[in-house]
Amino acid sequence: MSEGAKAAAEPGLGVTLSELYRLLRLTVRCCFEGGLERGSVLRQMYEIGNRSLVFLCIVMGFMGMILTYQAGLQTQRVVPDLSQLGATFLELLVRDLAASICALMLATRVGAGIAAEIGSMVVTEQVDALHMCGADPIKHLVCPRFLASLGMFTMLVVLAACVAVATGTWTASAFFGLNPRTFLNLSLLSTADVIVGLTKCIAYGAAIPIISAHAGLTAFGGSEGVGSATTRAVVGSSLAVIILNFVISGSGYLLFGS
Amino acid sequence: MRESKAIWSRILYRTPRLAVRALSCSLPAVAVRSEPDEASLSLSVLFGSLSDMVAVVGAEGVLLSRIVRRSLGGQIDRAELTRSLYRMGIRSLPIVTVTALFVGGIMVIQAAPTVQRYGAQGLLGWAAGFGTLREIAPLLTALMISGRVGANNTAELGTMAVTEQVDALRAMAIDPIGYLVTPRFYGIVLTLFLSTILADLLALIGASIAGRALLGVDPNVFYNGLTGGLLGVGDVVNGLIKSVVFGVAIALSSCHYGLATEGGAPGVGRAVNSAVVVSAAGIFIIDYLISFAMP
Repeated sequence: MSEGAKAAAEPGLGVTLSELYRLLRLTVRCCFEGGLERGSVLRQMYEIGNRSLVFLCIVMGFMGMILTYQAGLQTQRVVPDLSQLGATFLELLVRDLAASICALMLATRVGAGIAAEIGSMVVTEQVDALHMCGADPIKHLVCPRFLASLGMFTMLVVLAACVAVATGTWTASAFFGLNPRTFLNLSLLSTADVIVGLTKCIAYGAAIPIISAHAGLTAFGGSEGVGSATTRAVVGSSLAVIILNFVISGSGYLLFGS
Repeated sequence: MRESKAIWSRILYRTPRLAVRALSCSLPAVAVRSEPDEASLSLSVLFGSLSDMVAVVGAEGVLLSRIVRRSLGGQIDRAELTRSLYRMGIRSLPIVTVTALFVGGIMVIQAAPTVQRYGAQGLLGWAAGFGTLREIAPLLTALMISGRVGANNTAELGTMAVTEQVDALRAMAIDPIGYLVTPRFYGIVLTLFLSTILADLLALIGASIAGRALLGVDPNVFYNGLTGGLLGVGDVVNGLIKSVVFGVAIALSSCHYGLATEGGAPGVGRAVNSAVVVSAAGIFIIDYLISFAMP
């Protein structure tokens, strides 16, 4: 899932990758076993989803405006015809940018949160206490976050993409005088683009909590340990997003051609 | 004189916050309900975060003016500056390299359908180069540096603040802004500037490799598209100016949240989280403003 995620962040790359794979396998198995604490997934969904909403909408709103403005300028340099601007913008947004920019933002916000929470539980020996009680920390700490992130990620991306489309349409009509009807042109959008975009959402939604939880669980050495675990989580998640983006975009291009 | 300055900085810091708080209090009671998990939370969250945002911008402005005054007076600790540059710059090289190479590849993959549709292989260099140099390389490098360097810096300063090491410095008559903050500020700004130059170069190399592998565009054709006249030095300079401003934003928010940390180890975690979030949102907002200022 998250091959190469830690490429540069950690010295023992192979070890980290196998640990990440093991954590992913254990988490998925725990999720299928059921018996999660009631409401824990919902609480994490609130924490991951609702609390990121304002932040994500601000960022994606500005992203839509920047993208339309820059693309409009760029096109005007070469051809005076801006009628394909909206179609290209929507295609790019659905296929790549909505999922990837949101994922980078959530990697910092959610990844840092998960790593700090789990990491401070580890260094204050609360995780050992869970072990002592015969409770599986993966089931109680990692599973709810994994499921919540998987569930909320796509919804957040879709919502934030709508915000980006709205601000993009506004920019196009305010700065280039494009009619919103001309701008909202879905002719370039194909099923393949939607499939690639949604695959990215799911892959990022799975990779970010696993990498951050791994960083949190391997924290050691007091508050400095928590700090460095947070950094590792953010860097690892961001790198994972970029590398997964490369892999999925590349295979999408090779599979679907256009 | 000194007291009047302190009063001014306090006014600068407090007034916007009070104004926004008064605004949000004058809204209907729904908006200021204090239960954290209610459906009616969104308004109070929005206004609360708005007032925090204004307060943070004010505090960062005050911090910037202090840093500028210290550096005009030449009160920077050289050894600390060198140490920061090594820790922030050299140690970030691997992630900058990996990110830039892959980002170049992603740019080509995204441009590929359009290039194939119009059969414009010669324009690939221009399309990938424009987006990379002006937007994507500065933006993504800034996000990575903010995650790695900014977060680390906040955690360090925050731990110092929580364990009262900053107060100890003050007690020894060592100015914490000159000794701790100013070197880190310049460290982050310089690191981001130099990393962006490196990332520009590596992203273009990554793009030409991906163009060769996926589209069969010869690197020479790619290079010609890059230098064929549609792209100028102005585009590179535009990206680099952005990187400097992003660096200032990251450095200010990470130092501000680090110094303002309170509440023990959990406080450090919270400070790191808000520093990273504020830098990321700030980067996008500033990017938008710069795009208009320098079309």
